[in-house]
Amino acid sequence: MTDFLLLFVSAAFVNNVVLVRYLGQCPFLGVSNRLDTAIGMSMAVVFVMTLASAVTWNVQHYLLNPFGLGYLRTIAFILVIATLVQLVEMFLQKSVPALYRALGIFLPLITTNCAVMGVAVLNIQNEYTFVETLVFAFASSIGYGVALVLMTGIRERLNTAPVLSSLAGTPAALITACMLALAFMGFAGMVQ
Amino acid sequence: MLEALLTIGGLGLVAGAGLALASRVFYVYVDPRILAVEEALPGANCGGCGYPGCSGAATAIVSGTAEPNICVASGSAVHAEIAALLGVEIKEREPEIAVPGCTYGLEQADLKYLYDGFQDCRAAVLLGGGSKVCPVGCLGLGTCVRSCPFGALSMGPDNLPVVDKDLCTGCGTCERVCPKHIITLTSNSKRVLREYTTDQCSAPCQRACPAGIDIPEYIHQISEGNYREALRVIKETNPLPSICGRICVHPCEYECRRNLVDQAVAINPLKRFVADRERMSGERVQIGRAPDTGKRVAVVGGGAEGLTAGYFLTRLGYEATVYEGSSRMGGLLRYGLPQNRLPAGVLEWDINGVQEAGVVFKTGHRLGRDMTVNSLLHEGYDAVIIAIGGWDTQMPQRAQGDILKPIPGVYILLDFLLAYRAGKQRVPGRRVVILGGGSAALEAARIHIREEALEVHMIFRGPRNQAPFSDEVLEDAEEQGIQLHFETAVTRMMGRGDELTHLELASIGPSGDSSGREILETDTLLTGSGRFPELIYVLETGSRNGEIESDEGEGAWETLVPYAGPSARDVTGFFRPGEAAGDYRAVVEAIGSGRRAVNTLHLYLSGNSIEGPVSMIRANTRVLGLSELEPVSTAPREPVPLSSEEMLNVDPSAEVELTYSEDQAVREARRCLQCGLICYRRIEGALH
Repeated sequence: MTDFLLLFVSAAFVNNVVLVRYLGQCPFLGVSNRLDTAIGMSMAVVFVMTLASAVTWNVQHYLLNPFGLGYLRTIAFILVIATLVQLVEMFLQKSVPALYRALGIFLPLITTNCAVMGVAVLNIQNEYTFVETLVFAFASSIGYGVALVLMTGIRERLNTAPVLSSLAGTPAALITACMLALAFMGFAGMVQ
Repeated sequence: MLEALLTIGGLGLVAGAGLALASRVFYVYVDPRILAVEEALPGANCGGCGYPGCSGAATAIVSGTAEPNICVASGSAVHAEIAALLGVEIKEREPEIAVPGCTYGLEQADLKYLYDGFQDCRAAVLLGGGSKVCPVGCLGLGTCVRSCPFGALSMGPDNLPVVDKDLCTGCGTCERVCPKHIITLTSNSKRVLREYTTDQCSAPCQRACPAGIDIPEYIHQISEGNYREALRVIKETNPLPSICGRICVHPCEYECRRNLVDQAVAINPLKRFVADRERMSGERVQIGRAPDTGKRVAVVGGGAEGLTAGYFLTRLGYEATVYEGSSRMGGLLRYGLPQNRLPAGVLEWDINGVQEAGVVFKTGHRLGRDMTVNSLLHEGYDAVIIAIGGWDTQMPQRAQGDILKPIPGVYILLDFLLAYRAGKQRVPGRRVVILGGGSAALEAARIHIREEALEVHMIFRGPRNQAPFSDEVLEDAEEQGIQLHFETAVTRMMGRGDELTHLELASIGPSGDSSGREILETDTLLTGSGRFPELIYVLETGSRNGEIESDEGEGAWETLVPYAGPSARDVTGFFRPGEAAGDYRAVVEAIGSGRRAVNTLHLYLSGNSIEGPVSMIRANTRVLGLSELEPVSTAPREPVPLSSEEMLNVDPSAEVELTYSEDQAVREARRCLQCGLICYRRIEGALH
């Protein structure tokens, strides 16, 4: 149990997928303007990342490994994740329309998100068991959400703050992201 | 190898089959009409309609939240098809087109630095707003060109976007992606409503023009030999070019940048040249009008301002009728100018042009005699615009000492005093407000006190210590029961039928802004100004004024004050310091005022704020400019040809100044520096 807890803290904070691993930077800067969209995006990532990791782990262990096709991992994972997101979208539209409307456009957006793909690959590289994979993916996506929401909160305040005109906009956002990443460095060494 | 193929192929097959199955299992019913409408739409997903893509638009159209012609990218054929699919009618929509608003590319403009980063305007603008010194200059990296879903944009040789008018659908994608807001959509209405703002490029002459004519553009068209196009540019904001071309006081020429080098460009004689060319050809340049709004507006006063108001009302899609008290249109233009300045034939040509644009003229109809504001409002007009000018302009129409009461409850102070002294007039009301006017105002106030009026108010624009009376006189007046209001302006009149019932007063702060407002019960307003202000009367809807509950019920009206033009300094209320609002010093001022009155009414009737644009350039706005020029070639101004002495002897009423010849006009037009905000045409090679 302790192992899982450590894995969770490690994935969510110490090795935060955005701020330490530098994955998923595009939506991190792109959808961090308003809190409601940021939360929608985070929920969609939690949903898809966990599900995708579970499926890709099985694809790796029961399809690619037996045939010695490890080198096809990338292409196979892309195929699987894209199909999965499509399926999930259809399922939600039919069965949980409320959730479908809430996640809305974010679902197809993260089909090709590198954070989702990256976590799926990391699961294999780190040789996690299936349960570990689930915990790692869930924790990573939570870490992603935390980083995104923190960033959005800061940027919303930054919008009303006096910023040097030459730094206004993207430069200020990048500096903010940098400082946020430095803050997360504080977690370094807590867990491997 | 085979294993790999089979594995990935199999995986793909399973995924595909799974999705196909899922689409069956999780099938959601979609209205087939949505699919049909989406099929009919162009599928460019440009977002010009304001919905996320064509499917979003189709859903909105079918659900009835959007009109069938919401798609800006497709033509009327597609709109008709969609309307037929749904079995509904379509309303006519005004066509729009994209127009780039920058005329000097990166090669010719002054730069702050050389940009070598990612070739996209949205990236370039992050670096201190772009590389140009000019804050509203095109960055020239073609973001708009790449964004255009219809291939209507291309990059010209000077790195400025060029619009293909045939391909542009007016979807507005370029307007949305341009980080500098340089390429914008324009339509007939938008060009009528346009005011120069700090967010766009404008030349000093344009900003100085009370009518707001795009001067560099029309002169450019003349230099290229496109005389009719030049006249079209002028007519966008000035319906009386032949008249203006003769008698305009041309404030533009005083601001011309060529004054820094030699002499101003002959802006006004060039206007006369293109206008006279049109008159000689007999073929009118006419600008189209916006779709019919179904609303009718009456304009009272057939002078320059009334004609202009009628013209722009028509352009905006209103049914405009101009009432004139005398037997012929023209007002002071007809009665106040000598033949050798403005020949009758020229006047007729411009007045006929307004009529041909669709304005209905009714001469011999005098306000106060043949109709009243109230009767017009109840004849089915949605609004009445008063453009009757002043005491002097009405002189040809009346005998002195007759009191004119053309607008409800408002009298010219001088009219009242003359009539009262002559014994022709009793005091008109019991609650009187007197505005401005010095000792005459005090006399009128005392007359009212003597005649036992219930309330007498005197209103002063300035503070107490700047009133035109000594402290003793003021105290004496207060003791007599006259109520004095200092630093106050009249901002609205309200009434019912032919009677004035209320005035809205605003106190003016130190910077000329209005702060508190109060409503005063009044039946008479005496104005020391010799002019009636331009006013817009509309029937009160009640919902629009939160501060006063309309207990007047049916038939109550109120006035709107047109927003002030760019040269006005103290802009609160419809009586400005020493004068009624609206400017009659020159015909071009009246033209500008007429257009602004129409714009104000249009904004009101379409439910918008009736202020001018927020960033509109006004008298005290600071605009980037130049105080000296780098070398430009000097060239003397073309002299305006004059009539010979013999000719003037034969016909003393012949025009003294004549029109440029074509050669002269083109030569003069080429002297224009084609200024922008800070750019201008320099000598080749003299730059850098």
